[in-house]
Amino acid sequence: MLKLLVVDDEEEICDFLKAFFEERHFKVSTALSGEEALQKIDLEQPDVCLLDIKMPGLDGIQVLKEVKRKYPKIKVIMVTAIETSEKIEEAVRIGADNYITKPLSLEYLEKDVHQKISEMA
Amino acid sequence: MINYPEALKNAAKSMVRFKNPINLLRLIVRFIAKEVDLTHASMLVHDPIKKRYTFIDSRGESRIPVHLIKIDNDHPLILSFLGKEKKFHKGKEVLYLEHLQQMLRNQEKNHLNKADEIQINKVCDFIKSIKAAVCIPCFYHGELLGILILGHKKNEESFTEEEISFFQTLSSDAAMTIKNAEFQLELIERNRQLEEKLAEIKRLRKKEQETYYQIMLSLAREVREKDDSTSGHLEAVEKLGFMTAEELGLDLTGKKGDTLIAALRLHDVGKIGIPDSILKKEDKLTAEEWVIMKQHVEKGVKILEPLSDFKEVTEIIRCHHEFYNGCGYPRGLKGDEIPIEAAIVSVVDAFHAMVSARCYKKGYPLEYALNELQNNAGKQFHPQVVEAFIRALKNNMYKYYNSRVNGNRQVHEAERKAV
Repeated sequence: MLKLLVVDDEEEICDFLKAFFEERHFKVSTALSGEEALQKIDLEQPDVCLLDIKMPGLDGIQVLKEVKRKYPKIKVIMVTAIETSEKIEEAVRIGADNYITKPLSLEYLEKDVHQKISEMA
Repeated sequence: MINYPEALKNAAKSMVRFKNPINLLRLIVRFIAKEVDLTHASMLVHDPIKKRYTFIDSRGESRIPVHLIKIDNDHPLILSFLGKEKKFHKGKEVLYLEHLQQMLRNQEKNHLNKADEIQINKVCDFIKSIKAAVCIPCFYHGELLGILILGHKKNEESFTEEEISFFQTLSSDAAMTIKNAEFQLELIERNRQLEEKLAEIKRLRKKEQETYYQIMLSLAREVREKDDSTSGHLEAVEKLGFMTAEELGLDLTGKKGDTLIAALRLHDVGKIGIPDSILKKEDKLTAEEWVIMKQHVEKGVKILEPLSDFKEVTEIIRCHHEFYNGCGYPRGLKGDEIPIEAAIVSVVDAFHAMVSARCYKKGYPLEYALNELQNNAGKQFHPQVVEAFIRALKNNMYKYYNSRVNGNRQVHEAERKAV
């Protein structure tokens, strides 16, 4: 079973995306902060990580750096309400595999996750 | 079941508080979530600019995070409401997840092909992912402005016809509200654009007036240079005019001060239209020549008329050859009928004419000029203005003296002693 980690400081979003991907046969866990995300990544080593950029404490960019340093194989898709290109450019430079802005199309998100998984194989 | 009229009345009461009509949509969503025992009630609203639908509110235990999801205008759910998926949905009607699932189970009976199946599956998947049972379109004159999304009833029963028709009423209210909000936004946007244009017009107009004023000033300089080589002195006299006004205690703040300065600078601009043969004539002017000479007042007024910001300036210039006793021109005004600023220009102008050297004469001594002013106070000149002018001159003698040295270098030592 493919493992997915959803990181967002809004619990509602985590819960919604968890239900959405579980319905699609993923094993999903969630993290409400950057710190929690790093713990879960060490513990579970997910295949794909959906990572919110703007979070209090450790933000998505910092988490991304750490993930890509430790586990370059984990696919990271940045999910962000920030439309300013600077943050997105920074994320891509650091090694984000893709980014998607909120509000997002569920169909597109699902397609993108599958795409990243097929790149892994 | 639900007392809708009562609820509406309450809603209308609270609407008074809602400057933003979208808040009424939130009220509808919250009302349903509160009154009907549903897993959730949500509202998708059309964004005509970004061509998509987003959630503006969601209530209930399985509510949807509002800022997370969008569906684009070409999403199968939208297309089915717009009557583009007639095989499985008849346009504007309410869409039930249950019906779609039944249809998928009886594909042959419903004459569905593979493409239809894919579309139905897409709609079903979306409806399921937002945990909905029913989608009710909000139409306004054929425009799909929003979709009311309802979860399942907690008692797991199906919705009754009565309930659905109640939700449809709410949906149509919601559609009107959304349209209203769109109109309001449009109005605000149009207003903003209009104000921008107005500001631009004002800016251009100001610039135009400024340009015209600059042209006027060069014209005025031209006039001075025609019959007078003492422009440095003239500037000093302009300053004296301003100081005279200060001595008189006139309000010179803001535009009023600018008006007086402009009048002092421009009062003889009409002389540009007087032939040199008259303007520079050494001998006395004939009666006919005087008639022409006096026209410089009206000519000046004509030149300044296009400057709508300079109405007061124009009026001062029109009056700067009026006499206190009513014997001046062009209208023979007297006393207080003459604007005080015009009376100042009149004294300044006469003083300048007397002390300046012309190509045909030397300037009169200062003492003579001041005597003339005093002798004609109450006749040609406003007596208080003459007094104020002399006070201003005495107070600023040093500056005036310097300007004379720099101006025409024809200063008599006697002039200084005279005052």
